[in-house]
Amino acid sequence: MNRQTKLNSQGQEEAQQQSAAEQTQQAAGQEFATPEDLLRHDSLHTPVPPTIAHRLAESIGKTPPPPQSWWRRLLGGSNQ
Amino acid sequence: MKTTVSEPVAERRRSSAPQASARWRKGQGTVVPAPLAHSDTPLEALGDSKFADIYNEHSQAIYYLSLRLLSDPEKAQDATHDVFLKAFRKMDQFRGESSWRTWLYRIAINHCRNLQQGWNERHMLSNADDAIWETTAAKSDSPLRVLETKELGQRIQKALDGLPPEYRLLLLLVADEQLSYEQVGALTDQTSDAVRGKLHRARKAFTVLFEKTA
Repeated sequence: MNRQTKLNSQGQEEAQQQSAAEQTQQAAGQEFATPEDLLRHDSLHTPVPPTIAHRLAESIGKTPPPPQSWWRRLLGGSNQ
Repeated sequence: MKTTVSEPVAERRRSSAPQASARWRKGQGTVVPAPLAHSDTPLEALGDSKFADIYNEHSQAIYYLSLRLLSDPEKAQDATHDVFLKAFRKMDQFRGESSWRTWLYRIAINHCRNLQQGWNERHMLSNADDAIWETTAAKSDSPLRVLETKELGQRIQKALDGLPPEYRLLLLLVADEQLSYEQVGALTDQTSDAVRGKLHRARKAFTVLFEKTA
């Protein structure tokens, strides 16, 4: 039981230290080993504008369902 | 480029892919980073279908590629819309020989290329441009330091715009952790060895240009 409490306490301390390290890192700026890392970071912080999905839903609504290929029609299968 | 990174950066690298897939996974919004949270809602407009799942999983990658290739948010929105509409119409032709991601990237690259064709013809870069990067005393082995993240997107765009189109595309594709060098090679019509070789020059060129934007 005591061991469990000690482990929890250690975990909290480590989390606090990690959080402090992250804050220091943010304050001092960020470092990227390669351009790809930088682009990955940028991509994660570039939201997809919600209007695209709305426009797409509208466009799809106006589009007839994609035709089945000849072999699916022949076999009587479905698109699902 | 230096492969050793400081611990916080290494942590971020390890955690970036799972975060991305969690963000794209429908109905699991607990790991969604704050700036992106609002963009998940309109997915309901696409209904609960296989196509909605495909959009959910790949729209971020396709939008980002379009944005950085076209350098214009409005054009990137139009391109992303057109790419997914084209994919919807041609879903029946998808044979599963490649991944959805690769298939969508191929549509997006062709679409952006068509849009840019006129521009590229006017700004054709010769092979001599490679020599510029080779002879520049670039600190390509140094990590990229970013002190101010406020205008980071603009700086990245400026650096990418200065690159030959081939290098720009290569960096953007290699940055996607879901793609292997083989898949990047297939998308850019070259071998994976050629990708590796050009990637070195692309990184160097980007670093030179990015540092100039500071």
